[in-house]
Amino acid sequence: MKNAIDFRNAFFDNLYDIAIKNKEVVFITSDMPAESLVKYNKDFPDRFINSRVAEQNTVSVAAGLALSGKKVFIYGMLPFVTMRCYEQIKVDICSMNLPVTLIGLGAGLSFDVDGPTAHGVIDIAIMRSLPEMTILNPSDPITASAFAETAYSSCTPTYIRLHKGRTPSIYDNATDFSDGFSILKNGDDLCIITTGVMLHTALRIRDELKRYSLDAGVIDLYQLKPIKEDLFLKALTNHKKIVTIEEHSLIGGLGSIISEIITDNQRPISLKRIALKDEQCFHYGKREWLREVYKVDADSIVKQIIAWEKK
Amino acid sequence: MQEKVQMLKKKARWVRTKVLNTIARLRKGHLGGTLSCTDLLVALYYGKIMRFDAANPNWSERDRFLIGKGHAHLALYYIWTDLGFFDVRKLEEYGTDGSSLGFQLDRNIPGSEYNTGSLGHVIGIGAGMALAAKMDRKAYKTIVLVGDGECDEGSIWEAVMFASRYRLNNLMTIVDRNQATVIENRVEDDGSGRLEEKFKMCGWESITINGHSFEQILSAFTGLEKFNRPLAIIADTVKGKGASFLEQGAKWHHLVPSAEEFDRVIREFELEAET
Repeated sequence: MKNAIDFRNAFFDNLYDIAIKNKEVVFITSDMPAESLVKYNKDFPDRFINSRVAEQNTVSVAAGLALSGKKVFIYGMLPFVTMRCYEQIKVDICSMNLPVTLIGLGAGLSFDVDGPTAHGVIDIAIMRSLPEMTILNPSDPITASAFAETAYSSCTPTYIRLHKGRTPSIYDNATDFSDGFSILKNGDDLCIITTGVMLHTALRIRDELKRYSLDAGVIDLYQLKPIKEDLFLKALTNHKKIVTIEEHSLIGGLGSIISEIITDNQRPISLKRIALKDEQCFHYGKREWLREVYKVDADSIVKQIIAWEKK
Repeated sequence: MQEKVQMLKKKARWVRTKVLNTIARLRKGHLGGTLSCTDLLVALYYGKIMRFDAANPNWSERDRFLIGKGHAHLALYYIWTDLGFFDVRKLEEYGTDGSSLGFQLDRNIPGSEYNTGSLGHVIGIGAGMALAAKMDRKAYKTIVLVGDGECDEGSIWEAVMFASRYRLNNLMTIVDRNQATVIENRVEDDGSGRLEEKFKMCGWESITINGHSFEQILSAFTGLEKFNRPLAIIADTVKGKGASFLEQGAKWHHLVPSAEEFDRVIREFELEAET
């Protein structure tokens, strides 16, 4: 992939620049390495903590630091910085509304062959039920980099889902992400709403649908919580059909979010939710192959959209 | 010293009486675990162990105090109002609809550093505060109080090992070892009995004291500067301490005495005060 950048490098390089200027930034990893963290560790040894394989304590320590005026960034495997320490997140960080950012590596099926313990496919469901939590789901290296700044500027808890791997950039550096979503394409027949790296798939699907004379719009919802609902509803005006595409469980993720917004606002919109089946994945293979298994690859999604469109 | 101990005993009796009266009035509360750590709390706040400014509870140089067993909140409410952290009249709301004082501590209450209610978090939070003090070269110490039942939580030991690795000699943990949880009394040879050893094995300084002896509590907090590791103080206590019939371990975790039993306790206190 030409010009493809790893999400971790994009995020941590920007965080490094932020940490140079802001001495209250403290970084804690639960024994999780990243290429771009080496210089952080070298240049700020006093503000780089390896809390080792103890995620519950990692979150409590972060809360103690934040209560003492620090801006804390926690980094670890996505399931372990969310589910393993969920109660610590709820009580120690959220209930006291502290400026702590959780960075989970391995959104969706990033860790393809590692089985359900490593997959990040139910985290949106649980993290969005925390009242104080902001959830950011970058879709390319530009958003990943920008969200380091968003998280630093925030005075409240933030959760960032990082895809593991390189992708090309979709946005340019000057993009303003403060609305929480971007309309990438307008379309007359239907609107695809997606989040995270599935945006790349959604754009391919849009091109493919043209062959079937279907004009699909594409919206990237990278801030999953909170959502600027008025603004978002405005973006949905004129759409009668919406398809949500995500690499997350059908329960509690993007499809659920959109379904709730449509229902709560009594919008006459048909919704098709395309997501992972409600099961723990014990299939082992490459990520693209797993997507085929779960029918969330571009070809399978096109087929599902066409079948649904005809109804 | 003797004078100071007498003053502390008097304060502790006053706190116990207040707690008992309140729980008897509301017919609801956690007597056993509150009375077991009352002497420890009184020593911390009235024995000059902790530096604080009641008029400015968020004073940046204050010593931090975190309690894991929030069930003991009522003793702290009385101590805090007595010291002037907040108005004693606020306590009249306690137990009524809309009260700003709950049956657990939250950080909106002046004096409280943390939202209690879930066990096993405070040593980790305290370690974060102690680490921040090191980073910022601040002199405050962080004191954490947990129950021995609480030490069954795995997160406690994650935090204990972390604090030892970062040599947080500005962190102290008191274990209120009352040897009883909600439904059972603990025995010597299970987890509670060997806490001093466990903390030592994890790299802490560790001592055992009588948690109802003010001399021993005060002495545990002297000469802290000689340590280069965190300190665990295993305080042997009695659940329900202060009233003979309450001192039966697990039974009085959250049972409330009858009116007759309550009168008996108050009489015991009065007798004790006279002697």
